Amino acid sequence: MPPSCCGCLSQYTHHHLAVFLLTFFSYVLLHSSRKTFSNVKVSISAQWTPSISNDSAQFSPAETWENNRLFADEKQATLFLGALDSIFLFSYAAGLYLSGVIGDRVNLRYVLCFGLCGSAVVEFVFGTLTEWLHIYNVYLYCGLWVLNGLLQSAVWPCVVAVMGHWFGKTGRGFVFGLWSACASVGNILGAFLASSVLKYGYEYAFLVTSIVQFAGGVVVFFGLLTSPKEVGLSLEEATGLGPVETETDSHKPLMSDEEEEEEQVEAYARRRRSAKPQEDPPPEPPQAIGFFQAFCLPGVLPYSLAYACLKLVNYSFFFWLPFYLSNNYGWKEAEADRLSVWYDVGGIIGGTVLGLISDFMGKRSPVLVISLVMAMGALVGYSRSPNDQLINAVILAVTGFFIGGPSNMISSAISADLGRQEALRSSQEALATVTGIVDGTGSIGAAAGQYVVSLIESKLGWMSVFYFFVVMTGGSIFFITPLLIRETRDLWRDRQALRRQL
Amino acid sequence: MNMNAVYSWAEIIAIVLLFNVCFSTSYRRTETQPQVCALCGGSVNNTAVDLFCSSSAGRIKGRCCLKNNSISDPERIIGLDLSNCSLTHVDNLQGVSTVVMIDFSINPIVNISDTVFEGFGDLNFMILPPHVACPGGNTSWEKVELKEGKRLCEGQKNMCNQTGHLSVYCPENSLCAPYGPGFSECSCAENFYGYKCLRQGDFPALVVFGPLAASTVVMSLLLWVTQRRKAKNQ
Repeated sequence: MPPSCCGCLSQYTHHHLAVFLLTFFSYVLLHSSRKTFSNVKVSISAQWTPSISNDSAQFSPAETWENNRLFADEKQATLFLGALDSIFLFSYAAGLYLSGVIGDRVNLRYVLCFGLCGSAVVEFVFGTLTEWLHIYNVYLYCGLWVLNGLLQSAVWPCVVAVMGHWFGKTGRGFVFGLWSACASVGNILGAFLASSVLKYGYEYAFLVTSIVQFAGGVVVFFGLLTSPKEVGLSLEEATGLGPVETETDSHKPLMSDEEEEEEQVEAYARRRRSAKPQEDPPPEPPQAIGFFQAFCLPGVLPYSLAYACLKLVNYSFFFWLPFYLSNNYGWKEAEADRLSVWYDVGGIIGGTVLGLISDFMGKRSPVLVISLVMAMGALVGYSRSPNDQLINAVILAVTGFFIGGPSNMISSAISADLGRQEALRSSQEALATVTGIVDGTGSIGAAAGQYVVSLIESKLGWMSVFYFFVVMTGGSIFFITPLLIRETRDLWRDRQALRRQL
Repeated sequence: MNMNAVYSWAEIIAIVLLFNVCFSTSYRRTETQPQVCALCGGSVNNTAVDLFCSSSAGRIKGRCCLKNNSISDPERIIGLDLSNCSLTHVDNLQGVSTVVMIDFSINPIVNISDTVFEGFGDLNFMILPPHVACPGGNTSWEKVELKEGKRLCEGQKNMCNQTGHLSVYCPENSLCAPYGPGFSECSCAENFYGYKCLRQGDFPALVVFGPLAASTVVMSLLLWVTQRRKAKNQ
């Protein structure tokens, strides 16, 4: 492959670019349709309920104002929509465990396309077809949304696995940090799509996002290379630097790129030369890892639990922030929506910068822990933010940086690290399974959190919600601590060894 | 319809005919109405409806006064004279909701439900037997009087402009419009339609999906050629 130009990126081919963009936009489209649902909630609940006039007189004609009576009033409809959110998150979490396991056994491209196109069809039926046919039924909606959660869950493990196949450990933190902006970009795209067609009716918001998503699935089907092996590049060759090999540094746990670059490159070149002839006869299809086997991989359980705590906080911001801003500061809904974008912006920058730092350090957990400690401070600071939109936006971006950043890192770069660690030399296909486990556990935390947050808010007020977030962030640190201790010890030992050499 | 009461032959015909009228015609697209206009015999010479009809350049057909605003428009009933028709009962007049003047005088009618005239936004003059109240009550009319043994209801009040009682504030995107004596409706404002008037304009399906389909095909082809063409099937 002709390598694309310039400096440190020279290891990447145009295949890398295509894979990066395809996986990025797969998840952008998926998240944009998720955002669409939350942006059309007002229109849907209006469609499901009769009009309420302030005196008892009813508006006529009835077919325009009174005939849809799925719910008596908008409050009940809002409750149902919240229940749909929870249903979605739980079925999404359950699906993540399942689809990761499937993704490692079936061609990732097929699973990804099936997830994208299948969930597009379900969203079309949910939002467009039921409206065109005037079928309003609570059980139908619930069933469809469970199905949607299961189908959508197929996407994340697949895109992370594909990215993990293509992008080796070197630079992974940075590449994945940049790449994990996909969710936030999806939010912005979804908000844009929904707001531009909402005036034609909410069914068209669903129609447009689901058809765009379906088209994305088709493009992925024709364009995605799931692994460098498909075009005859070996995993190592693809990035120049593959997962850390056992023979040279078997004492090291995940991700250690402490050696001199030249030495490493030389070693890989040698290995490549020697490995080539052996690999040419059809290589054995790598065995997929078992679900419980994956759970027991070093690092998977701690990071899963840490991510459960962190995703709870992260998704609470996603769901509750505009409501908190308009509720607590009395700002208009549009202003609150606009302001809450800064949390996403902070998350994108945080994920990229922290990823870059962790690439340079060669360890991820110290960066995570420092960032999370800062996050606790940022949370306390944000809860005391004055009633000023500029200051609020700045603190919000900082909070997003320290919470969204680590969150993005765990769900993408670290999941990929865990799925390609050296304990897996014999069975390569663990990427999707591990990603599914980490993100699935996180989603359970997020789903449970939505309920807990609303409970704490109604009983104890917003201040307690923020303390709850601080505690959860602390929990996240707690679960990473064993890894932190091990990795800093390694880091320290490597430094010592290096000093002794000099 | 209340079928418990015992009707005379003419009344049954009348009810059946009115029933037919309301099902054979769609709202506000009243074709010529031979049934209701031929409900009873006799002429309408020199009655109030007749005078009104000639003054507004309509044409009399049976008991009706028909008029079309332009040549392409179907004729609308603007006057209905059912005086001296032996009616005891007026149940359903939906087919003639464009009517401006109605004469029910000299009929043994006991009572007319208000809802019969729901949707009669143009109705502006009624002549009723003296003991029958004006539909919607006296507050729905500019002027109510008893004259020569007939009750006259003149000038339908617009319920939308009422201050105080029964004022209707229509929801967003809709406008209040008179909908018959004592009634008002909230009809969607210009360009708005659908349930609760939430929808606006026509979705430009071609403009959205045409380029989308084209770019999907182009991108699929492009990526196939540059990426997957060389792929070995695993």
